[in-house]
Amino acid sequence: MNRIETSIDKVKEDIRNFYKPELYHFMVINAVDLGEKIEVQWFFSEYANPSNIVAFCVQINPDMEIPSIRDIVESSWVAEAELVDLMNIKIQNTAKGFVLEPDFESGPLRKKK
Amino acid sequence: MGKLYEIPLGAQHISLLEPLHFKFTTENEKIVDTVANVYYVHRGIEQACCSKFKFRQVSFVVGRVCGLCSVSHTTAYSQVAEKLVKIEIPRRAKYLRMLVIELDRIHSHLLCLSHVAENSGFEALFMKTMQYREFAMEMLEAVCGNRIQYDFSIVGGVARDLKPGVSKMILEKLKTFKPQLDELVDIYQNNWTLSLKNKGVGAITKEDALRLNVVGPFARATGLAVDVRNETEDLLPWKEVGFEMILDKAGDVHARNMVRLNELYVSMRIIENIINGLPESALVTETKAFPDGEAVVRLEAPRGELFYYAKGNKTQILERLKIKAPTFSNVPAMVEAFKGNEYGSAPAIIASYDPCLSCTSR
Repeated sequence: MNRIETSIDKVKEDIRNFYKPELYHFMVINAVDLGEKIEVQWFFSEYANPSNIVAFCVQINPDMEIPSIRDIVESSWVAEAELVDLMNIKIQNTAKGFVLEPDFESGPLRKKK
Repeated sequence: MGKLYEIPLGAQHISLLEPLHFKFTTENEKIVDTVANVYYVHRGIEQACCSKFKFRQVSFVVGRVCGLCSVSHTTAYSQVAEKLVKIEIPRRAKYLRMLVIELDRIHSHLLCLSHVAENSGFEALFMKTMQYREFAMEMLEAVCGNRIQYDFSIVGGVARDLKPGVSKMILEKLKTFKPQLDELVDIYQNNWTLSLKNKGVGAITKEDALRLNVVGPFARATGLAVDVRNETEDLLPWKEVGFEMILDKAGDVHARNMVRLNELYVSMRIIENIINGLPESALVTETKAFPDGEAVVRLEAPRGELFYYAKGNKTQILERLKIKAPTFSNVPAMVEAFKGNEYGSAPAIIASYDPCLSCTSR
């Protein structure tokens, strides 16, 4: 797994420069609760060399809004909607209520304080 | 432009076996837009795996993610855990894992095909396909002890060896199944009534599949060559046992049927090669190490790429486990492929996606 550490300000531009639909397969967005921070990871694999799995990693404060990449990777809306529901992360233009019911308590995968 | 109607389908519907909800916007019976919701069965399995179970027990928990591709989940999890504790499993265990994965693929593909037949209004073909599927269920029971949710892969290897006589029985059953599969291929390929319901219906192009990151038979039916078995040789030696990628071009329901049917021939060949060349070795690599660091694993489940991410912290309990099921990746393309089709075709199209909400919502 090839980790690319980046920042909240740069991640969208980095993914835009990296992602070519005919070269890379978008897999999923993951988030890991580190306690004070949350690490968000955007996973891609390369069609020509699939063992090359690239993860763009950003550490954020839980109350920060992260940019949506659906204007770059059209199918990413499912993964973004899942993160909003399960990790209670704010993502640009993404509402609650896709993986969990809209009135469900958000963030069941976050660590309990 | 005609009047637009919104028609819901699911979460409980006669033609939907999965708790999935679609809201179609139709114009004169033609679907012009679709909204999907998958929020009915979330079970919190990822959270349970990182709080209530030790990492060795987790392979039994993720086996409950899905009744159909249970072995794909237990194998993918075992592989990712083996990466975290840095062990290589015995060669015989790798072959036995591939054997069960391919038996599982046979029963899962036949189940999907039977539902496509049923949702296309061809009840007799549904019954026939389910009848022929029974051979795979019997084989899985003989190998694993269970018809579904077989806890076969464990961290370090596999839980049991083949019992005496099972190898011979599998080879004999494969011989019986071959003409049955030929018969199914002939019907799905050539039946005129079925072709009206399946050909040119629910199609997406290869370009759409690339753009929407589609996986599994759904992608291969468009000509997009994605199959994890073709890519990752480090964990399971697929090419050594005769893997071959099956592709089609049309990207419609018919093409998805044909990809699945032709993949059954490949699965049969792989099973035959495994049985004939099963290496002798131990079944499990023992270790007392605790998971440390992070790792990812991809595995080709019957519906496509299954992705596992795990992070360990040198304790018995994992820090994080992330499961990405193939149906989850295919939701954007599912929504897209309805557009322009008749509302009446929706049940057959949905069945041809082979959606698994149990995996998706886990």
